[in-house]
Amino acid sequence: MHITNLTVRKRLLVALITAIFLFLGIFTRFFYIQVVWGKQLRQKAVDQWTRDLPITADRGLITDCNGNVIVNNVTAYTVYVRAKNVVDADKVSTILSQHLNIDYDRIYSKVTDKSSSEWTIKRQVSADTVSALREYNLEGVYYATQSVRNYVYGDFLTQVLGFVSVDSVGQTGIEAYYDKYLSGIDGALLTQSDLVGKELYDTSMQYVAPIDGFTIQLTIDCIIQQIVENVLKVAMQAHSPKHVQCVVLDVTNGQILAMAQNPSYNLNDIPRDDISTLMELSRNTIITDIYEPGSTFKVLTAAATLEESRKGNPKAFDENHVFTNNSDVRYLDGTKIKCWTKHIGNKHANQTLAMALNHSCNPIFTDIALALGTQTFYGYLQAFGYGSKTGVDFLGEQAGLLVDEQSVTVNDLARIGFGQTIAVTALQLAVATAACVNGGYLYQPYFVKQIIDPVTGNVVKTMYPTLINRPISQETSKLLATMLQGVVTEGSGKQAYIEGYQVGGKTGTAQKYVNGAVATGKNISSFVGFFPASAPKYLCLFIVDEPVGVTYGSVVAAPYTRMIFQSIIDYYDIAPIQP
Amino acid sequence: MSILSNRLLTKYKKIDYILLFSCLTLVIIGLVFVFSASYYTAEEDFGNKFYYLNKQVIGAITGLICMNAVILIDINILKKLYLPLIVVSILLLVLVFIPFFSIESYGAKRWIGIGHFSFQPSEIAKFAFVLFCAVYLSNSNVNITKLHHTIPVIVVGIIICALIIMEPNMSVTVCVAMLMVCMLFIGGVPIKHLLLCLIPAVIAVPILILIEPYRLARLMAFIDPWATPKEEGYQLIQSLYALGNGGWFGVGLFNSRQKYEFLPFAESDFILSIIGEETGIVGCFILFCIYVTLILKGVKLATKAPNRYLSLLSGGITFVIAIQTLINLAVVSGCIPPTGIPLPFISYGGTSLVMFMSAVGILLNVSSLCASEQNIAKPHIINKRVRK
Repeated sequence: MHITNLTVRKRLLVALITAIFLFLGIFTRFFYIQVVWGKQLRQKAVDQWTRDLPITADRGLITDCNGNVIVNNVTAYTVYVRAKNVVDADKVSTILSQHLNIDYDRIYSKVTDKSSSEWTIKRQVSADTVSALREYNLEGVYYATQSVRNYVYGDFLTQVLGFVSVDSVGQTGIEAYYDKYLSGIDGALLTQSDLVGKELYDTSMQYVAPIDGFTIQLTIDCIIQQIVENVLKVAMQAHSPKHVQCVVLDVTNGQILAMAQNPSYNLNDIPRDDISTLMELSRNTIITDIYEPGSTFKVLTAAATLEESRKGNPKAFDENHVFTNNSDVRYLDGTKIKCWTKHIGNKHANQTLAMALNHSCNPIFTDIALALGTQTFYGYLQAFGYGSKTGVDFLGEQAGLLVDEQSVTVNDLARIGFGQTIAVTALQLAVATAACVNGGYLYQPYFVKQIIDPVTGNVVKTMYPTLINRPISQETSKLLATMLQGVVTEGSGKQAYIEGYQVGGKTGTAQKYVNGAVATGKNISSFVGFFPASAPKYLCLFIVDEPVGVTYGSVVAAPYTRMIFQSIIDYYDIAPIQP
Repeated sequence: MSILSNRLLTKYKKIDYILLFSCLTLVIIGLVFVFSASYYTAEEDFGNKFYYLNKQVIGAITGLICMNAVILIDINILKKLYLPLIVVSILLLVLVFIPFFSIESYGAKRWIGIGHFSFQPSEIAKFAFVLFCAVYLSNSNVNITKLHHTIPVIVVGIIICALIIMEPNMSVTVCVAMLMVCMLFIGGVPIKHLLLCLIPAVIAVPILILIEPYRLARLMAFIDPWATPKEEGYQLIQSLYALGNGGWFGVGLFNSRQKYEFLPFAESDFILSIIGEETGIVGCFILFCIYVTLILKGVKLATKAPNRYLSLLSGGITFVIAIQTLINLAVVSGCIPPTGIPLPFISYGGTSLVMFMSAVGILLNVSSLCASEQNIAKPHIINKRVRK
């Protein structure tokens, strides 16, 4: 064997060239990864390198129409630990358990558990406790400020305002409907960290400021709301009903001035543990529940016939027409419709429309509805918004129940004439009645007047009154308002009378149905009132569900409407109207 | 002592300096980046940011001593020692499985520990196997064109592979297997015989996958690491993030973000990811150039070596470096399934560093012989002198 032979040399060169080609190939791959793909990879990597501490934006305030704050925020703290940064686990656990009233072992297990970068020890800790804890300079323990919703008046406007979840997301009411305006945009503190989230030394932090939520200014007037809340409590005590509710509207524009119900709960102490109770109490029944309105509905029937007679419809009765069928019953398709009282003697005899309203005489309104016929009458129902949602800025509104126009029987039509066989929301009835007396303008009801930027004070959004429809003329409306004033002056609504303020209104006592049959002794008593009749401004619908004892709306609901109106007059010092 | 240093000086006058400097540059780059990649985890895990650097410095110093020792020796001594060396290597590989000596780490038995001192027998076995092949294949009694004459190489190769796969250490096994093929190839084995040798390898792969199915999952992970971002794909994703973050010129020395525990084995098998992150594609290019220079010099040396034994020995050593470097590069860039194999001269690991530096010592020793030969002009004359 001599020196390296040719084969070995050749083979060495082949192997070398192969190796160099492989180097070139791999270098191409490196070039692709580092230069071509690099930017995209870096973007993905940034996610794992940074850790951001969220800085929650303050939720927007909610004020009444005059700027009085109803809902604001108070600062609370969240105490959390990062196990990796804890030096003395025993000391940390001991001190935290003393100050936060949490079991030592529970804290110790979190303090020593490095499987997560962060453990929350307790939320909503007060500023005092946190400043006491800060004294100890505990390593690995951190405090994050957290804004907690504070309802200034507690149980006040409860179902309208709604509540937020523990992480401050609107769940119901205005809090939910206007959540995107209220929530604001969270900021963050970005820090560079290692794999398990431990902060790196010598690295800069980046602060992204939070943007606080907008202020929501409601149409609600705190004064009127407080009056209503108080009166509801009085009514609850006096009649021990299942439920009372009330809405006050500004009839000139559809603004909701007050809306309340009882029983209720304190928004600062939400019964979150008892979901069914919470769901029951937090439902805004005025908007989301339907009921058979009864006699208050006669206002609409009266409006329909008056407007039709003005338009020259020969089937309609005008204000001068005298109804001569004085019987207290009407037989329709073999069923009997009775008046609420027997027509003995001269009772309910030879009535005009105004008198029929005063007496709340059922047979007359069946006559009117039947005379107008399904098509015309349904035209008015729809024109006044029945069967469709009012469009109020609130979640969960119901449209009510209206028998389908094609399948409505004579009996149905007759009963709708005095408020049976139809289910409405209280808000629908209030808005429709407002349109009957305000000159004929059906407005969309609304809760929010303005949305305001809390930093600049600029108005971000203004809500203007929305006219939905014009179901009746000014003249008809005026006439009807006068008739309804008569109901209070000399009819069933006497208990709502206030000298010098032209209160008008209509009572209602509706039967309740249980399993499709009339439930005796269970009534919904209501009164819809407004003043002053010559130029209506305030409208109040007061509903008492299942009062015990006397159940007539004239006795159970009308006096409370008067109390509310009287308080408004007193507070705002409204001058009486000179006759 | 003065005789020794004089002898070293005479040797040093004749060695290939480009080879020496390539090697030392790589070792220094290694020290810098072992520190850069490890100081954060070292501080976190051991409370001493120099923990890995210190060990690597000890490895480098030991390596330097061994390298110089190897430069000094008469290279033909190794020729006589080839049998004891391969036997001792195999015995050391067996020792890995004996509980008293064994050190287990990440579920594998790859280290032997005696007191504070620990090392990886497989690192030694690779070079012992090269020596074995070089001596055997240069034996004038061996006619390499005959198939049965290749059997000893294959048997020894398979024994080593079998012992290493049992640790288990897939990547080093593959490395040794490739080295065996490489040695047979440059040793002049006919191509058809080589293809015959490849058949068992082709059969072995699916069997190994069947025995340990996690290998298949790993195998798939490199194709789409984002399919299993928290499991098999994790390591590769982190490596790609590091390289991608490097871009053209890198984020600057010591500025890697991936070393903050995101990239496991950042100081050892995946140190190149950190180098790529801190110095960019430009840094990687320079690094690759150094490796290619080293390999070019090694192969040139092999072609010029005074005899077939030295030719095969230096060629084999050069290709150990080439194969292992290429596998590491391919793993780090996701060209092949992720396996743990250190980057020669650079990755953290004392045994590997000492062995590679010693191996370069052999190359340098051979280069000094070549130089002597060139001075005298006629190769066969020096050859005769060496063979005296």
